[in-house]
Amino acid sequence: MSTFAVPVGRLHALSGELRKVPAFVRRDFLTAWSYRMSFVSDMVNMTGQVVVFYFIGLMIDPDVLPTYGGSDVTYLEFAAVGIAVGVFIQFGLNRVSAAMRGEQLMGTLESVLVTPTTPTTIQLGSVAWDLVYIPLRTAIFLTAVTVAFGLNLSAAGLIPALLVLIVFMPFVWGLGVATAALLLTFKRGAGFVGLGFVALGLMSGVYFPLDLLPGWLAAVAEANPVAHAIEAMRDSLLGDATLASVLPVVLLLIPCSAVSLAFGMGLFRLSVRRERRRGSMGLY
Amino acid sequence: MAAVLAPELDRARDLTKPSRPTLEPAIRVESLVHQFDEKVVLDSVSLDVAPGSIHALLGPNGAGKTTLLRILSGLLVPRHGNVRVLGRNVDNSREFRGLIGLVPSGDRSFYLRISGLENLVFFARLYGATKRDAVRRAHELLEQVGLEDAAKVRVGFYSHGMQKRLSVARALLADPPILLVDEATHDLDPEGARRVRDLVADAASRRTAVVWATQRLDEIRGLCDGVTLIAEGKVAFLGSVPELMAHAVPRRYLVRLRSSRPVATTAVGALGTIAPSGEPHSGHYLLALREDAVLGDALGALAAGGVDVLTCTEERSEIEQAFLSIAGGRK
Repeated sequence: MSTFAVPVGRLHALSGELRKVPAFVRRDFLTAWSYRMSFVSDMVNMTGQVVVFYFIGLMIDPDVLPTYGGSDVTYLEFAAVGIAVGVFIQFGLNRVSAAMRGEQLMGTLESVLVTPTTPTTIQLGSVAWDLVYIPLRTAIFLTAVTVAFGLNLSAAGLIPALLVLIVFMPFVWGLGVATAALLLTFKRGAGFVGLGFVALGLMSGVYFPLDLLPGWLAAVAEANPVAHAIEAMRDSLLGDATLASVLPVVLLLIPCSAVSLAFGMGLFRLSVRRERRRGSMGLY
Repeated sequence: MAAVLAPELDRARDLTKPSRPTLEPAIRVESLVHQFDEKVVLDSVSLDVAPGSIHALLGPNGAGKTTLLRILSGLLVPRHGNVRVLGRNVDNSREFRGLIGLVPSGDRSFYLRISGLENLVFFARLYGATKRDAVRRAHELLEQVGLEDAAKVRVGFYSHGMQKRLSVARALLADPPILLVDEATHDLDPEGARRVRDLVADAASRRTAVVWATQRLDEIRGLCDGVTLIAEGKVAFLGSVPELMAHAVPRRYLVRLRSSRPVATTAVGALGTIAPSGEPHSGHYLLALREDAVLGDALGALAAGGVDVLTCTEERSEIEQAFLSIAGGRK
């Protein structure tokens, strides 16, 4: 047995792996910064989407919308939080899966995999920049909408909303990693992402209250963690919900996130193992 | 060289130092078989590579060289056979991967939107170096491969040769005990190729075991200690470079004569044939010897016939002839 094998404890190995994550963040920041125009177009797109919903909101009677904290909300307020979370999910799913696909297309995947870095670190590292950027982007979006259209978002609800977002993030990440595994295996399959988002979006209450769904679909939506996350976010930001009042949702989301993450990571490991066996890691 | 790596990787390098007796080769491949679907690409391949030696992997396109390197680097799991690196089986563990430096054959293995320096720093950190050490090591290697002036230029603006040199620099980041090089000098200018060979030879002098897959046959003379020639997935030759060259039996020479062809043809007589080579009246000819003739006799006959022989070179290098003799003989 070589003295090289597992020379130090697992804790040391873990900390060594975690120390690599900032290198991924720097790499992806520099890459993103080299495409400055995409920052601008991203913000323009988001602004355009909000303007559209503002005008749609003018046609919608607030009485058909649910109340939060006993107060009526406008459609724009209702949709803005939904869109923020929805875009967060879409962006998260796309970016996580695109990270691996991008490495494959650039030809860098094998170069990274040949280094003494675990697949989990590579996955975490590949999305670390997004884990910083996406919440920041969501916050910028909500702030801009609030300032531009005078939305009545609760400052006190920011902390509970942030807590919900944090426990919800691994759920999205797990789905993204699972998608990345499928893309690694099947090479083409962006449709998986779109299909998943449509299913999640339809039954999540991003754009409309779930009460409007047919009974059986509403029942399915009840089991959708995304719907719970969005409602908790609305409760926090539109209804002044406290940490205690979002706690049940947080407790529900934690196991969902754990399962999603474990599923995604497991699938990714299987996918890498399969590609090593077939020798098709670098193919696309 | 100062250590810049995680402690466990430094310990890995210790395994190759002379103070520690080496019981088996740095790389041992035994009866390796691999196939993609039904196509067998490696068939019972065996070879040993000692620490500090450079082992050439020769073979025509599609012979299986890259597949073998991918197996040795852990990127591909072989169907059958044993592959041991520094006494341990090849696996996908981070400890194993810390032993390997790989120069891939393809062009696309860097982040094109960031600089060469940033690329190297990134990869050095994946090998466990701290940021400060990663930057220092990246600068060291950029200087060694002659890219210090392009350190802050995006890799997307690098030429093919520059990317190759950067690729060699990356493989040497961790000063690995095993270095796998796939067509590193392919398409490089002579100076760039020489620089890459010097870097690899320098690594071997520090007891790194190198597997050097190449199509540039002449470069293995003076560089490589051993040669494996793979043809159609099988080992067609395994031995030293001089042993390989022993397979070369040159029979065709490019000569430059101060005489006309009929005179030269008469002078050579039954020893061989003389045919024009290159521009007419330039004095360049191809001398093809008969099976039993030797070069000295032919040159003597030309001189005796009043033909001045100005130059005489083999039409192909000895290694190329040996390669063609062995690889061609399998077809």
